[in-house]
Amino acid sequence: MNPAAPTPAGSAPLSPLIHLIDDDAAVRDSLALLIGTVGLRVQTWADPMAFIDGFDRQGIGAIVLDVRMPGISGLTVLDTLAAQGVDQPVIMLTGHGTVEMCRRAFKSGAAEFLEKPVNDEQLLEALQNAVRQHVRSRERHQADRRARERYAHLSEREREVLGLIVAGLTNKEIGRALDLSPRTVETHRANLFAKLEAESLAQLIRHYAALVETP
Amino acid sequence: MARQWKAFRWWILAWVALTLAGAVAIARLELAQLKDAFETNARIMHRLLSQRVVQHDAILATLALLQPGPDGPADAAPEQRLPALYPQILSAQRRDREAAWSDPAMASAEATSRQLRRANLADLDFASGRYQLVLAAQPASYALTIDLRAMVPWAEWPLEPASSPVRVVLEHSGQQFVLQPGRLAPGGWRFEFHKHLAADSQAFDVVATQTVGWAELPWGRMALWALVLAAVLAWARHGLRQRAERSRAEELLRLGQVARLNTLGELAAGMAHELNQPLTAVMASAQAARRLLDDDPPELDTARQAMAQAVEQARRASDVVGRLRRAIERPDLSGQTQALDLVEAVRRALYLLEPECQRRGVAPVIEAPQPVTVLAEPVALEQIIHNLLMNALQALEHAPADRRLTLTVDANGSSGRLQVADTGPGIAPEVLSRIFEPFFSTRTGGLGLGLSLCETLATNMGGALTAAPNESHGALFTLTLPCQPQTP
Repeated sequence: MNPAAPTPAGSAPLSPLIHLIDDDAAVRDSLALLIGTVGLRVQTWADPMAFIDGFDRQGIGAIVLDVRMPGISGLTVLDTLAAQGVDQPVIMLTGHGTVEMCRRAFKSGAAEFLEKPVNDEQLLEALQNAVRQHVRSRERHQADRRARERYAHLSEREREVLGLIVAGLTNKEIGRALDLSPRTVETHRANLFAKLEAESLAQLIRHYAALVETP
Repeated sequence: MARQWKAFRWWILAWVALTLAGAVAIARLELAQLKDAFETNARIMHRLLSQRVVQHDAILATLALLQPGPDGPADAAPEQRLPALYPQILSAQRRDREAAWSDPAMASAEATSRQLRRANLADLDFASGRYQLVLAAQPASYALTIDLRAMVPWAEWPLEPASSPVRVVLEHSGQQFVLQPGRLAPGGWRFEFHKHLAADSQAFDVVATQTVGWAELPWGRMALWALVLAAVLAWARHGLRQRAERSRAEELLRLGQVARLNTLGELAAGMAHELNQPLTAVMASAQAARRLLDDDPPELDTARQAMAQAVEQARRASDVVGRLRRAIERPDLSGQTQALDLVEAVRRALYLLEPECQRRGVAPVIEAPQPVTVLAEPVALEQIIHNLLMNALQALEHAPADRRLTLTVDANGSSGRLQVADTGPGIAPEVLSRIFEPFFSTRTGGLGLGLSLCETLATNMGGALTAAPNESHGALFTLTLPCQPQTP
């Protein structure tokens, strides 16, 4: 029930943190205790505005948000998070959910919509799914970012060669297209694989095809 | 108030405008009729006078034609008998062949007569009311002296000369003779008639004049019109207002029902939230405790803490329920009761439900042999009757035919009784015992609060509400209310 200390940005990506926002202290404490039983760390927030201003956006985890709160609706908080590009999955909790409310929540990007009082298995499973999903999406993003960084180190000629490799041309064809000797193409190709840390042609294409196609 | 006055002002304006238009029409009609009568009378007078002057010409011509010849007896003077026959002829003169008129004016008139070959005026003295007419003839010429007033055939005269408002004057060469003075007044309307008499010898101008003053307009009829109009407008306004009031009353009733439903919805939402929070906490704590106890080794301290929290939150939930009950607890109605006519209350409820009855083809029957006065709180009584009637009408929807709704009001010693009997499907025996339980409903989507509320209200007013099967089929609800203050 002691809110875990926020982790420094990106330092412990595999220690997920759940943000729990509810204006009711008893609900906060009991849900935090329940979530804690599966080994997830929980940080509780009574004030949605304080949460928006203060939570760690870099950390891995998920957000549990009550729909009905004084001052600001949970749906508004959800919209704000989406507008700010927050990528942590959001699980909405509500006392009496209408179809319309549910529809709006999913439209605004909620990962899950659960009714109070909430079933423990449902909540915990939803949280674990959300965290898994978030970890995967972060990993994907990270891989993308790294690929982009490596791609930035390529020379103009190397990029041209990469584009033609991705297009499926042989060394000979590339040499003809760029007016280079097959030997020079071979050198560029070796440099490419080294700079992009690719071990096979398949890996090269999988990670870098998107970058070449949208220069 | 200001709005009311504004609306009233339009009615007044409409009344004034219509009154004015009607009054003008009435006045014009009256004036047209007066003018018509005036002109008819003037033409009659002109014709009567014309006949007379033509007669004078004829008399002179006859004298000239029948005059005795030169051999005839000189003393034969038929013209001297004329004044006896015709009252307007004052005297008749004859100028024999060798004789001369004593008056030179006569001679000149005779000369003109000879020239014109017809009778001619010799002397005109309207001031003394007479004139002389000469006809030149051979051998003797004749003259008549005629009295103007005696000339008028008063027996046939269309007007009463002394009292008639019409002034009639004969005019000739600047002289005037007043036949009847009339009453001319300045202002108002003026009718005039000018026409020369139909004899060239005595072409006097008949001038008739009549004035109609403001005071002579048909004020009585105009006032009557204004009154009738005021009455019609007042009646129309009353009708419109009554209709508006009735539709307003229906609107209010509908709004009241909607508001009640909204309040109920809000209450349910608030209740759900207020209860859901502690219930969520209880459930989460209990589930956490179970998981902690399942751990190996069990985390007993934390589990104990979680259970304490669950108990705490369960108590909070029970507090919410208690608070809710106190909030919606109705005040004791027994202190606010007043004497009410039960039959009248039933009639009013039926009036408001008239469209509902018509929609279902139900004609409710009230059986009330005598007036019954009960002690009740007006709004509560209205709500009970309304709910009982609505229930009966909804039950009758399921009756294929023979839809009867009978309302019996009677008194039994110290209490008044209203029985609502319908011929709907009735109440199943297993349902009958639970029918007044809150949240018990046989209707899908029914809240199950109506009858429960009615029963509570009736009990709070010192009465009772019971349900039983109707004699043949259907349901019978009996509302009993005290007739006189109950001694505590």
